[in-house]
Amino acid sequence: MNSERDKKPSINSRAGKPSSELSPDYLSLKDTIEQLARENIELSSKYSAAIQYLRNKIDQLLTVMGTTPLKPEELDNTTLIETDPIGIISNSFVQILKHLHKTNEKLKNANQEITAIFDSAGAGILVINKEMKILAFNTKLGEYFFKDKTIFLGQPCYETICNFQNPLAECPFRKVFQSGKTLRLTGWVINNRYYDIVCAPINHNNGEVPSLILLYLDITEHIRMEQALRQSEEKYRDLFENANDMIQSIAPDGSIQYVNRAWREVLEYAQEDIPNISVFDVIHPDCSECGQAFKSVVFGEKSGRVETIFITKSGRTINVEGNIGTVFSEGKLVGTRGIFRDITERKKAEELLSSEKERLAVTLRSIGDGVIATDTDGNVVLMNKISEALTGWSQEQANGRPITEVLHLIEETSRTIKENPVSTLLKSRQTITLSAHNTLLAARDETERLISYSVSPIIDRQSNIIGTVLVFQDVTEKRNTEEKLLKAEKIESVGVLAGGLAHDFNNLLSAIMGNVELATMELDPNDKAHESLSRAEKAIAMATELAYQLLTFSKGGAPIKKAASIIELTRDSADFALRGSNIRCSFDLPDDLWKVEIDPGQISQVINNIVLNAVHAMPEGGQIHISAGNIVIGYDHPELKQGRYVKVTIKDTGSGIPKEYLQRIFEPYFTTKHTGSGLGLASTYSIMKRHDGLIEVASDFGKGTTFSVYLPACLGKIELNPLDVEKPSPEKGRGKILLMDDDEMIRLTAGEMLKQIGYKGVGAAEGNEAIEKYKTAKNSDEPFDAVILDLTIPGGMGGKETIRNLLEFDAGVKAIVSSGYSDDAIMANYRQYGFSGVLTKPYRVKDLSSVLRKVIFHK
Amino acid sequence: MNIIEFDIRGQICPSTLLTALKAINDHSRQITDGTVKLAFKTDNRDSMGTIPESAANMGYKTTVTKKEGYYLVEIGSEE
Repeated sequence: MNSERDKKPSINSRAGKPSSELSPDYLSLKDTIEQLARENIELSSKYSAAIQYLRNKIDQLLTVMGTTPLKPEELDNTTLIETDPIGIISNSFVQILKHLHKTNEKLKNANQEITAIFDSAGAGILVINKEMKILAFNTKLGEYFFKDKTIFLGQPCYETICNFQNPLAECPFRKVFQSGKTLRLTGWVINNRYYDIVCAPINHNNGEVPSLILLYLDITEHIRMEQALRQSEEKYRDLFENANDMIQSIAPDGSIQYVNRAWREVLEYAQEDIPNISVFDVIHPDCSECGQAFKSVVFGEKSGRVETIFITKSGRTINVEGNIGTVFSEGKLVGTRGIFRDITERKKAEELLSSEKERLAVTLRSIGDGVIATDTDGNVVLMNKISEALTGWSQEQANGRPITEVLHLIEETSRTIKENPVSTLLKSRQTITLSAHNTLLAARDETERLISYSVSPIIDRQSNIIGTVLVFQDVTEKRNTEEKLLKAEKIESVGVLAGGLAHDFNNLLSAIMGNVELATMELDPNDKAHESLSRAEKAIAMATELAYQLLTFSKGGAPIKKAASIIELTRDSADFALRGSNIRCSFDLPDDLWKVEIDPGQISQVINNIVLNAVHAMPEGGQIHISAGNIVIGYDHPELKQGRYVKVTIKDTGSGIPKEYLQRIFEPYFTTKHTGSGLGLASTYSIMKRHDGLIEVASDFGKGTTFSVYLPACLGKIELNPLDVEKPSPEKGRGKILLMDDDEMIRLTAGEMLKQIGYKGVGAAEGNEAIEKYKTAKNSDEPFDAVILDLTIPGGMGGKETIRNLLEFDAGVKAIVSSGYSDDAIMANYRQYGFSGVLTKPYRVKDLSSVLRKVIFHK
Repeated sequence: MNIIEFDIRGQICPSTLLTALKAINDHSRQITDGTVKLAFKTDNRDSMGTIPESAANMGYKTTVTKKEGYYLVEIGSEE
């Protein structure tokens, strides 16, 4: 290029000529040309300078762009201009500037974003410089530390945050300036609050740390919650360990996760045993349902209250009850937790209580009395079966109802409502007993029963009344029995009277009979007086029969029992009574009837009397049906002992007995018949009583009467009474006889009778005299061969005691008991009392002779 | 996308830079909107420092790939 520029002046010099040769125009032109040449040179110079300037600027720009300057040989001036590097670079600059502007915008936005983040951060942020002066802080930090202060940037942090006058030498953040490493602090306390602090250096590229950024996180609440949690945990651990209940946590495989002190103590395990045992070591092996229960809990089939049996390390059995719950974590079973209580003692107490309750319940059920318990308001809380039956109210119906509604009491005679005894007791607080039989209980179905009752308060330990118990009995039957007993007593007393009468009567008859017999013996066989004496004897026989009847009815008629069939006896007795009547009689007497233990004579009299009664009740004729059957009586019969009986029923179609007479027919001397003695049914009653049997009567007035007779069935063999042996005719004997009788007339008559049959009689009025005489005679040459002792000596020693004394003195004494049946047992069983024979008053000479021969000579 | 290729092998700086800058200037809009990408083949090692830096300052994304006997400098949109 320079070469080109240099060429231009040379072009100018080639056109030049000497100025003298040139015309003025030429000269003017020449001047112009020269002028132009000068200007050209000047312009060329300027052009070069401009080009150079351009090149410099281009190089400058290229340098700014980071590249090397243009080398002159790379582009000539023309190409340079055409290429327009400045334009290119300028355009590039425009783009660079646009890009920078865009970047600036982004930075600005980013800065705003950062500021927003800075202020909205949940932690406090502080920026400080090396002098510990605050360069920036965010809103949160202001809230943390500058709430009540006005803080200006540039104030030192140690003053504003830590409240110190000067920076602390040991301030950990200051050291970060030196170390350049991030520092983290936990639980840093400022103004009683806890902070986690991260202090990060803001590093510059040159390694310098001009400032720090500190991030404060207030963890006070977290710390306090942790403390509270720790305290709570301690509290629960304390409760857990010191609880008296057994607490356990069991893994699904049965291994033990943890247990408390009570658990270990009760089951006798040490803490170090726990990892080596499982729940199956603790569940009692005999309790099959216990393990199952545990499994059910594990499988979520069951939870809540569980009663089970544990076994201790030493093998002791413990009854426990408690609750088991399942523990889930993230939907997965992680174990069970249980709290148990040792209820072994309680279980025992419960069992005791339960058996006691059962015993009480059974007792209550078994009590034959009605029992009703009420609360303090008089409302029914309990009734036993009997009370249900008597009132007609069931326990369910009566429960909670006032007792006055359940127990209607009526005064028997006045028919007025009685005040309920429970109400009376609740007013008076005194036990009430009523045994007088004048209160009727009206049941729900209006049945009335006579009752006796007692009411007692139920009193607790503090002597408070907590309820009442009313016990009552149905005494209807008892009163009936009492009435019967009263009747029996009446009959009995009449019997005693009759017995006494008969005794004396017998003595008199004995004397009369003896004397009549003696007179007869002494008379000439052809004497006319024989006829009169014979009539007297017949009258005496009739009187004796009457006396015998009286005695049968009275105490004296002890039955002389033996085992017998009643079939023939019944048939014969009935036939005998029916003889000559127009009554048809049918029998139903099965062959398999049990034998009975009876005095056949007396029972024959019973059947005879009843049938006669029937005959008299049917003067126009009628029917009698006699049946018998075996029957077993239990404990429930009021008048018969438990046992086997034969029941004979005699039923007529007669006029019947009016109701008002029915209770009296067994009374002695009670009769509706003109011909009756009034002793028939009374004797029957008395005989049955002495047979441990019973006679009952039922009558439908106008339709007929039924008598039922219960006779005890025979259980063993009955000794035959020697009296049944036929009496022999009087025969002469020889010997000395002691005769004890209080009745002098008897002594005299009997003495004469003895003399008649060859014996020597010696009298004694009572036992002591008899003993004395017997002893004296025994020691003499002429002892007694036999003694006849009267059983009853009014006001003196009788036969029973005398024979005892005589036997003591002489075991071989031969004694005969004599009585008008006054003591049945001895007469019936005389051998048991030491007698060798028995002589019933009044007796004939032949009776006397017979018994003496038997006793003395064993004939 | 349209790739416009420039073979500037044999050129050296600053000629390579000026050629690249001119091409960028000429297609700046298309590069920015992503319809065009420029690809320069160069064997001048110095250009590896100048072209990518200038393009980056202008807001473009540059990738340099070493090829057999040359470098491929690609300039496209940042996004």
